[in-house]
Amino acid sequence: MKNDPLRSVAPDAALRSEPLLVASDLTKQYGAVHALDGASFTCLKGEVLALVGENGAGKSTVSRILAGATGVSSGTITFEGEPFAATSISEARRRGVACAFQELALVPDWTISENLILPDRRGRGMFSQNKARDESDRILSALDVTHLNPSTVVGDLGLADRQMVEIVRAISANPRLLILDEASSALNPIGVEWLFARIRDLTADGVGVIYVSHRLGEISEIADRGTVLRDGASVADFTRGSWSEDDLVSQMAGRTARRHFPEKPPVPKADEKLALEVKGLRAEGLSSIDLTARHGEIVGIGGLQGQGQTELLRCLYGAAPAVADLWQIDGKPARHLTPPRAVRRGVGFVPEDRKTEGLALTLSVGENLLAPWLKSLSPGGPLQLRSEGSWIDGVLNKLSVRTRGANEPVGDLSGGNQQKIVFGRWIDRDRSILLLHDPTRGIDVRAKQELYQAMLELAESGVAIVWFSTELEELVNLCHRVAVLDRGRVARVLEGSEITPDAIVGAAVGTA
Amino acid sequence: MSATTTATITATPPPGRLASGFKRLRYDGALAPILAFVIFFAVYLAINPGLLTRFQLQSAANLIVPLALIALGQLLIVLTGGIDISIGAITGLCNVVFATQIAGLSTPGALILCVATGIVCGAINGSLVAYANLPAIAVTLATAFIYAALARLILDRPGGALTDGIYKVTSGELLPFVPVSLVWLTLIAVGLWMFLQRTAFGRQVYGVGSGRAAVQSAGLKPRLTILVTFMVSGAVVSFGAIMLAGSTLTGDPRSGDSYLLSSIAVVALSGAAFIGGRGSILGTILSAAVLGMVGSLLFFAGINSYWQYVISALIILAVVVIPRLIQFGIRQSALRRGPA
Repeated sequence: MKNDPLRSVAPDAALRSEPLLVASDLTKQYGAVHALDGASFTCLKGEVLALVGENGAGKSTVSRILAGATGVSSGTITFEGEPFAATSISEARRRGVACAFQELALVPDWTISENLILPDRRGRGMFSQNKARDESDRILSALDVTHLNPSTVVGDLGLADRQMVEIVRAISANPRLLILDEASSALNPIGVEWLFARIRDLTADGVGVIYVSHRLGEISEIADRGTVLRDGASVADFTRGSWSEDDLVSQMAGRTARRHFPEKPPVPKADEKLALEVKGLRAEGLSSIDLTARHGEIVGIGGLQGQGQTELLRCLYGAAPAVADLWQIDGKPARHLTPPRAVRRGVGFVPEDRKTEGLALTLSVGENLLAPWLKSLSPGGPLQLRSEGSWIDGVLNKLSVRTRGANEPVGDLSGGNQQKIVFGRWIDRDRSILLLHDPTRGIDVRAKQELYQAMLELAESGVAIVWFSTELEELVNLCHRVAVLDRGRVARVLEGSEITPDAIVGAAVGTA
Repeated sequence: MSATTTATITATPPPGRLASGFKRLRYDGALAPILAFVIFFAVYLAINPGLLTRFQLQSAANLIVPLALIALGQLLIVLTGGIDISIGAITGLCNVVFATQIAGLSTPGALILCVATGIVCGAINGSLVAYANLPAIAVTLATAFIYAALARLILDRPGGALTDGIYKVTSGELLPFVPVSLVWLTLIAVGLWMFLQRTAFGRQVYGVGSGRAAVQSAGLKPRLTILVTFMVSGAVVSFGAIMLAGSTLTGDPRSGDSYLLSSIAVVALSGAAFIGGRGSILGTILSAAVLGMVGSLLFFAGINSYWQYVISALIILAVVVIPRLIQFGIRQSALRRGPA
C-alpha cells in the first residue's frame, strides 16, 4: 500500500476543505446523566481533528456514537453529505467509519490474524490459519508492523502491542473516516511515531482522522484542528499553530462556578507521625510507587483515568498482590497484607463500585455497616448486633442517611445513601488510614457535601486519608497533597498552593 | 521517558505462536491430559497386559466411545463459557428414541429422528441461553427435567427393538484389532475439529467464550454462535446415545444419567477453561479414555471398585491443579523480582 505510485501525488487543496463529517449539537443521556450536551464539530477530508477534554468530558461517547456502538439522544451527523446513524459497528465499518477503541475490543483467546481477519468474514466460510496468517502478514507489513507474528495469541501480548493490533484492524477496514480513541495511551514514543506515520499516509489519501487524546504534546504534533469538550459540550475550537498548551489546559479544566467546599483542616505538622509509608511498591499496573501520609493528612491521587489509581488503592488495602521495598503502617512493617489484616491494622477502604464491591445489597443497613466488625462481635457465640445499636444510630445520624432504619435492605437506598453506608463503616472505629476510591461518583450534590464534611472530620481526628477522585475540583479543594499518577508511576507530587486544576491536568498530560 | 517505557514494544512476553498443532494443543490446555493418558496407559498395561487382545480392546472402546462423544458435546458448550446440565437427559432421550423407533422406521429413519431429537434439544437450550440471556446452568437444569420426563414417557423401562446388526455396525470390529466404534469416534472428532479449527464460524465458538463483548464489537453475532453451538452439541450427544444403544443393545431412559457428571469431569480433566475460550478435542477424547477405564483398572488390580471415584478425582486434581500451582509460583517470583 505504501508503495502505491498514486499515493505519492499530493492531495489538492480543494480536497482538504471539503467537509467529511459534520456533527451538530449532539446530546446523549444515560438516565439523568448528560454524557453529551451540545457537542458540535466538523472533520474535513484529509485532516486530523483532535478532540480534547478532561475525564468525563464526553470524548469517548463521541467515538462510540461515530463507531456505531451507541446512538445519539438528539442532534445530527452528516457523513459525506448524507445523514449518518449507524446502528452497529459493522454497519459503520461498511459506511466507511472505523474506530480503534480505548477499551480494547480484541478477543483475547484469538490470534492476531484471527482478530484481523474474522470480523470481515462475518462468521461464514472456511477458515485457514495459514491463509489468514499470510493475509495478516500482508496487512501488518503494509502498515510497517514488523515485530508482531500474526500467529501470536492476543492475550499474550503487552498492552502496547494489543493497541497496535486494534489500530491495524481499524485501518485494515479501509475507512474514509478513522477514529482513534485514546489509541496512543499505551504506546511508547516509538509506537506513537509509528502511529503518526500511519496517520500521515491516510490523510495524504484524503482520509479524515479524529484523534481523541489527553496528550497535548501529541496533539500539537499531529492535529490540524481541534475541538475542546467540557462537560459534554464543545467549548472551543483551535487550529494548528494558533494555540498554546496553557490555553488548552485552562479550556479543558474550565472555570465553572465553584462548588462550596468546606474549609480544609490545617496541614499536619511535619513531626506528626507517618500513618502510611511505602517505597518502591510494585504490582500489576504499578511500577515503583513512593507514597506517604501523615496522621490527619489528606492525600489525593490524581491523573487521567486508568493510570494505576484503582490498583494502588486496592494494593494498599491488601486486595491485590503487591510487593514493596518498604511498607509501613503506623511505623510497623506491613507484610503479606490481606483485607482482614488491613482492617486489624487500622486501614479502611471505600472501593470503586459500591454495588458489587462495597455492599451486600440484600442485607440490611445495619448488617452492612457492621460487616468489617462481625468477627469481633461474635467471638465464638451468636452475633450480638443489638449491642451495636447506638453506634449504628450515631453513624446514620452523623451522615444524615435517609433510611427507614437499620433493618432496611441496603439495596433499597439511593446511590448517595448507599455510599454513606460504605463510608460509615469506618467512622469512630479507630482508623489510622482511610482509602477512598472516587467516593462521590454518581451521587447528588447534597450527599457529596455530607461526605466532604465527614471526611474532613475524620482527618481532623487524626485519620490519614488517601483518596482518588475523578473530579478535579475535589482534589484541589480537599487535599493537602496530590500525587499525580501517569502509567503506573508518580509523575508529580503537588503540595499546598501548588495544587491547582491547571497543575494537576498539566502533570497528568505531561506538560509540566 | 525512562528506559523501561522505550523498551515496551520489543519487551512483550514471549509470544506463544499457534501456527503448529503442538502449540495449539498446549494453549488449549491439552498437554497435561495427554501426559496423564500416557502414564495411565503405561500403568494399565503393566497391571493388565491383556488389554491388547481383540476382545478387551473392543470392549474398552465400547466403554470409552459413548463417554468421549458426550464429553465432546459438553466441551462445545464449555467453549462458549456455558455448561450443559441436561446432557445426560438428552442422551437418555435420544437413546430411547433410537431404540424404539427402529422397530417402526427403517434404521436410517430412526437414526435421523434420533439426531434431530438431539439438535432440537440443543436448539431449545441454546435459544434460551442466547436470546433470552439466561445462564446456561439454570436453563439446562430446567430442561434436563423435561427431557428426562419425555424419555420416560417414550419408554419407561429398559427395552426397545435393537438388533444384532446394530451391534455390529456400532460396536463390532471393522478389522481384527480395529473396533468399529473407534472409527466412528475418529470420523466425528475429525469433523468436529474441521468445524472448530477450520471454519470462520468455529473460531467464533472460541471467541464468544473468550470475550463475548469483543466478538460483538468486531461486528459478529455472538447470539447466533451460541445457538448453533448448542445445536451441534446436541447432534454430537445423539451420536453418543446411538453408540450407547448399540453397544448395550437396549434402550434405557436412565442410560444417560451418569454421563452428566462424567462428561463434566472429562472436560475438567481435558484442561479446557470453564470460563470458555480454551479447550481441545484431542485432550477431551484422551481424558474420556482415562476416566472411562479407571473402573476396569481397579478391577484388574483387585481393588474395591468404590475407589474408582476417589482415583478419578485424584487424577483430575493432579492434572488440573499442578500446572496452576507451577504458573502461580512463576508469577509470584516474577512480581518479587520486579519489572525487568
